[in-house]
Amino acid sequence: MKVESLVPRSGEADLSAVLKQVGRASSPPPFSEAAVDFCAAFATRLGRDPQARRYPELTALAFWIRRAELERLRREFAALENDSLLRAPRGLVFHVPPGNVDTMFVYSWLLGLLCGNRNIIRLSRNRDEPVEILCRIAGEALAEADPLLQAGNAVVSYAHEAEINAALSAACDTRVVWGGDSTVALFRHFPLAPHGTEIVFPDRFSFAALRAEAVLALDEAALAQLAEQFYNDAYWFHQLGCSSPRLAVWVGTADACRAAGDRFFPAVAETVRRKHYELPAAARMRRFTFECESILDRPVAGRRDLGRELACLRLETLEDFSREHCGGGLFWEYFAEHLGEIETMLDRRDQTLTHFGFPADELRAAARAWNGRGLDRIVPVGRALQFDRYWDGMDLFAALTRCVAVQS
Amino acid sequence: MTFEQLLELPVYGVPQADKDRILTAELNELTAHHRAHCEPYARLLAQLAPGDADANAPWETPYLPVGLFKSHALASVPPEDVQLVMTSSGTTGQQVSRIFLDKETARRQTLALSRIMQQVLGPDRLPMLVIDARETLADRRNLSARGVGVLGMMNFGRQHLFALDAQMALKLDELKAFLAQHGDKPFLLFGFTFMVWKYLYEPIREMGLDLSQGVLIHSGGWKKLQEQAVGNAEFKAALRQACGLRRVHNFYGMVEQVGSVFLEGDDGHLHPPSFSDVIIRHPETWEVLGPGEKGLIQVVSALPRSYPGHSILTEDLGVVHAVDSPEVERMGKAFEVIGRLPRAELRGCSDTHAFGSAR
Repeated sequence: MKVESLVPRSGEADLSAVLKQVGRASSPPPFSEAAVDFCAAFATRLGRDPQARRYPELTALAFWIRRAELERLRREFAALENDSLLRAPRGLVFHVPPGNVDTMFVYSWLLGLLCGNRNIIRLSRNRDEPVEILCRIAGEALAEADPLLQAGNAVVSYAHEAEINAALSAACDTRVVWGGDSTVALFRHFPLAPHGTEIVFPDRFSFAALRAEAVLALDEAALAQLAEQFYNDAYWFHQLGCSSPRLAVWVGTADACRAAGDRFFPAVAETVRRKHYELPAAARMRRFTFECESILDRPVAGRRDLGRELACLRLETLEDFSREHCGGGLFWEYFAEHLGEIETMLDRRDQTLTHFGFPADELRAAARAWNGRGLDRIVPVGRALQFDRYWDGMDLFAALTRCVAVQS
Repeated sequence: MTFEQLLELPVYGVPQADKDRILTAELNELTAHHRAHCEPYARLLAQLAPGDADANAPWETPYLPVGLFKSHALASVPPEDVQLVMTSSGTTGQQVSRIFLDKETARRQTLALSRIMQQVLGPDRLPMLVIDARETLADRRNLSARGVGVLGMMNFGRQHLFALDAQMALKLDELKAFLAQHGDKPFLLFGFTFMVWKYLYEPIREMGLDLSQGVLIHSGGWKKLQEQAVGNAEFKAALRQACGLRRVHNFYGMVEQVGSVFLEGDDGHLHPPSFSDVIIRHPETWEVLGPGEKGLIQVVSALPRSYPGHSILTEDLGVVHAVDSPEVERMGKAFEVIGRLPRAELRGCSDTHAFGSAR
C-alpha cells in the first residue's frame, strides 16, 4: 500500500515502512524538552515565513504554540501528575483531521506530540496552500529536531482507501477523528486494537448569548470592539466552524432585545465590510434560498437584511430548533427574558456558548443547571475559535495519555 | 392593461422606459395577486419586503430565489385547478422545480410563446422537424422541462417528424423523406442545443444534406458544448457549413417562466419580449447593474398567475449589451447569458461539505 509522504520527507512511501518506522520509534515522556523545542521552533518559523503570514489562521496557530504558551501548558500538564500518579503517552496516535479546516491537523498533531505520543496524520489529497505551507515548515522544523521526534512522526496523504484506514486503525493505540458525523461514522467501520481508544469530534452547534442592556450601555468604541470579536468568532470559517456562533440569544425585555439587535448587527455588518470578508456569490445565493426556506418552515417572526454581509432571522420559539444551517453570515435571533430560558432547547450537539454581559456566577450557575444537556464551552465573545486542551467536553491531555499508578 | 392588450404590444418594439412603466404595473398587480392567493408567498413577502408598498420600477419587485421552487410547492390556485405540473430537468438525485399551471396561466404561456415565435417564423405553421424522440412526451401530466419545451414548440409546426428514436439515433431515411417533401420551402427545426449538435449535426456533417430552408430554434444551455469549446458562433458556423442552415435562433428560458422566453435576434443577442424582462444584479451585492456589467440574472414576467414566479433571481450570469439599440430593430434590452454561478464550497469543521448538507 502506497501513501504520499509529506513530513518528514515528501514523496511516495510504502505504508508498511512508515508504520514500521513510527511504530518502533520510542516515545519521549510528555512535554519533553525535545517536543517543546520543536513546537517553539515551528512557531518561530511560522511567524517569520512570508508566505505563512498572509494567512491569519496560521498566525493564530503560531501564537498558540509560542514558547510562553508551551511553558504554561507544561505547568498545566504537570498538575495532572502527583507522587503516586504518572501520565504516560498512549503510544501511537492516528490523527484524521477535518478535510477543510486547514490548521486543525497541526493542533491535533502537536497536542499528541506534546503528550509524548508518536503520530501519524492523514491528510486528504486535496490540499490548499495553507496546508502545503504548514507541511513545508513542519518538515523544516522536524529536520532540526531530536531524532526521536523525526522517527516518531509522519504526515501522510491518501484518498480514503479503506485498507489504509483499516491498517492504521488496527496499528494505533488512539485514533483521533475530526470532520464531523460522516467521518466519525466512516471510521467506526475500521476496528481498533482491543486496547485502542478513540477521540471523536462529531458535528456541533454553537451560539452566542448577549445581555441586551449590556450591549445598549456600550459606547461606540466598545461596541465596535465587541462587533469585531463577534466577527472573528463567526466569519473566520464562514460560520461553519463547530464553534462559530449561528444563533444570537438576546437576554432582556423584548424592547431591550430589539434595540440591542438594532445596534449590534449593523456594527457587525460594518466590521464585515471593513475586513473585506468575501462571501462567494453562490454562497450568498444559497444563503438567500435557505432564508426563504426557513421563513416557510420555521417560526420566523422577523428578518434583518444587512446586504451581502449579514442577515438575521428572528425565531419566535426555540422549541424543536433545527440546527441545520447554511453558513456565510446568517444568524438566528431569539429574545429571552432570562439566560435560563434556553435550557429546554439545549442538546448534546451544542458545543460553545459565547457570552457577553453576564456576571461570572450567573454563567457558572447556568452551566450547573444545564448539567448534562449540552454545551462544552462557555467563553466570552471573541474566543469561540480559541483552541484549548478542553475541547468538546474532553480534556485532551488526559485523553492522549494513560494513567500509571505508582505506589511505594 | 388586460393580458390581451399586453399581448397586442409590439413584441420587440416597446422602448425600455415605456416597458419599465408597463411592467411595473403588471408586476405590482401580480405581487398583490400572489400575496392574496398563495399563503407561503404572503409569508415570504412579510419578511422579504415588509409593508405592502408597490414597486416603483420592475427592479424593485420582490424576487424569490429560483431554488425555492425545488424545495417548496408554491401555487396560487387550489389543487383542483392545477392542470399541469412541470418539472425542471435534473440529474438523478437532484431536486427538481415543480411549477403548477392552471388553465389560464397555461393559456397565457401558449399565447405569449406564439407571439414571440411569430417574429421569426411568420404567421403560418411550418412543417417541423423535432430533434428529439417521441418518447420524451410519454407522460403528459408530469412533463420534464424538455418535454414542456418540445410540446410548446410543436404548436408552431405541422406534419411533425421526431427525428430521433428512443435511443437518440437519427432516423436518417425519414429525415431524407421529410426533406424531399418539404426541404425546398421554409420549415422549422426545434431541439435542445446539445442534442442538435450531438444527434443531428454530428451524424450529418459529412452527408451534404440541404437544410438551407430551415429555421432552427434551440435552447437548453451551452454548458455541455462549452466543454468541447463550442459557443454560439462556432455552433452557427458549423451548421451553416455542414448543411446550409443559416437561420438559427437560440433562446434562454426556464421552466419557472415558460412562455416568456428570450429569443436570439439577428444581432446574436437575446431579447426580452414586451411582457418580460431581465435585470442584471451584482453577483455579490445584488445591486442593479447597467449595460456592460456582468452579473446575476433576475427574470420578471407578466405571465405567471397560478404560481408566484413573476420575479425570480436565477443562478445564471449574464450581461446586457445594449438598450434600445438603434443598430438592431429591436427595442429594449439586448443581452447574453454567460453561464452559471460557479459552485462554492464554504469550508468548516464538518467534512460533509456544508453547502447542501443537512445539519
